[in-house]
Amino acid sequence: MDPIETHDVVVIGGGPAGLAAALGARRAGAGKVLLVERDRALGGILNQCVHDGFGLFLYNETISGPEYAERLIEDVVREPIRIETGAMVLDLTPDRVLRINSRAGYRLVRAGAVVLAMGCRERTREMIEIPGTRPAGVFTAGSAQNLVNLQNFRIGNEAVILGSGDIGLIMTRRLTFEGVAVKGVFEIMPWVSGLERNVRQCLLDLGIPLRLRSTVVEIRGRDRVESVVVAKVDEELAPIPGTESVIPCDTLLLSVGLIPENELSKRAGVALSPSTGGAVVDQALMTSVPGVFSCGNVLHIHDVADWASYEGFAAGGSAARYAAGERAAGGTVRITAGPNVKYALPQLVTAGTAGVEWSFRTTRPIRNAQIVVKGITTGKVHARKKFGRLLPSELQKIKMRRAVEEDLEVGCHE
Amino acid sequence: MNDRCALDRLTCVLCPVGCELEVLKDEAGGLDVQGNQCDKGVPFAVEEILHPKRNLATSVPVRGTAATMVSVRLSGPVPREMIFPILAEIGRLRPEAPVRRGQVLIADVLGTGVDVIATRTVI
Repeated sequence: MDPIETHDVVVIGGGPAGLAAALGARRAGAGKVLLVERDRALGGILNQCVHDGFGLFLYNETISGPEYAERLIEDVVREPIRIETGAMVLDLTPDRVLRINSRAGYRLVRAGAVVLAMGCRERTREMIEIPGTRPAGVFTAGSAQNLVNLQNFRIGNEAVILGSGDIGLIMTRRLTFEGVAVKGVFEIMPWVSGLERNVRQCLLDLGIPLRLRSTVVEIRGRDRVESVVVAKVDEELAPIPGTESVIPCDTLLLSVGLIPENELSKRAGVALSPSTGGAVVDQALMTSVPGVFSCGNVLHIHDVADWASYEGFAAGGSAARYAAGERAAGGTVRITAGPNVKYALPQLVTAGTAGVEWSFRTTRPIRNAQIVVKGITTGKVHARKKFGRLLPSELQKIKMRRAVEEDLEVGCHE
Repeated sequence: MNDRCALDRLTCVLCPVGCELEVLKDEAGGLDVQGNQCDKGVPFAVEEILHPKRNLATSVPVRGTAATMVSVRLSGPVPREMIFPILAEIGRLRPEAPVRRGQVLIADVLGTGVDVIATRTVI
């Protein structure tokens, strides 16, 4: 069967990254752009993030998620971008043929370039293997956010939050506002995984206890959660016998991590990085499959939506140039994560490229940190930047002005 | 080291440096801020301790449309102690569609000088 329809750029996903990618593609000269979103409306996760704090970088003011989405969508609909909501991309081949199922039916689409912007999903109870019964009342924080903010459900009366990710912190405040008694936030690590301002505004302001080095070791209840058992953990994150306590509650929220949603990427043969869970990309955000680009939470988990959008603009622009026949010339340089660095992205750079900027995260909180970009064989320092404090929760950046000519390591030193 | 008790520890959020500020009570009963690397850190910390301000966001059921909810927030931050009284006011809202983004749903809520505004368009 031959493809019946071609586009210069097809963007998969209409959240903060995908919307920006469609715009970025148009601004870089792409003629025909198709934006495919599986939900009924554009905006992605922004629609349920009613709290403010979005747009500080993109719009220079702090607005809520729905406002941020609407502003981006207004820019998108002004462009001759074909928007398809309620449409699912079922498959993507290495030569960029998409199988799309939509209200109009099933069809094939051939793309000059593809931008992956499918976002991420939440880790569940099964993935962290909490023992106990299987009653109602166990929610991931994001699904609870959807139920409360978009569907007006009261999800429970007394809640415990496991994990200190941002969505869990935001939902702690949200549930408290709705009259739900939040008994405490339990975090297995010795540090909080969400942003500092959320700890302050969502926990400290409301007097919600935060217990680090603690986790839920059992869920109890027959039809509905009746209590959870929490315990302290040791250095190996194993529960310490004798430290258990029972907390009566009818609701458990899980905020225990996000996973880039790369099922389509895998089908296309895109190489993934074990440290980001997303694609391995070059400075143009191109994956190992030529003409397939990646941005936003499907590439790596962001803490600020604005950065996902900036990545989207960049990936969309790269995709438009690829579709127009532009190719990077030169060998490939590899960038590895050095001491205390979880990952540095992009992981590949075309030799001779100047002004490359890496996003990176540290593996743990580090004070008086110095980030160093150095040559692996020469040991030559090509860029360095000082930070008063680096937290694993904060995505940071470092730029190298000079052209990249050798394999590099991005490391963090105290 | 000094034996004065720290009132609070907070991270300055005015710039990416993120100074860790410690606020102490000085002999005269005033506030003494330490840890700031620039002048802006002091008023930031003093305001955060004495008059913390917050925005607030929630969503309310909307009538006359298939969409269930319209999200709302305040047009600007209010003193933190006003959050729950304002939430009670917002709890009584049942706006009728269409609602436009930015539309004022409660003007000058509880005399704070800020408005409750819709944050999405519901047709």
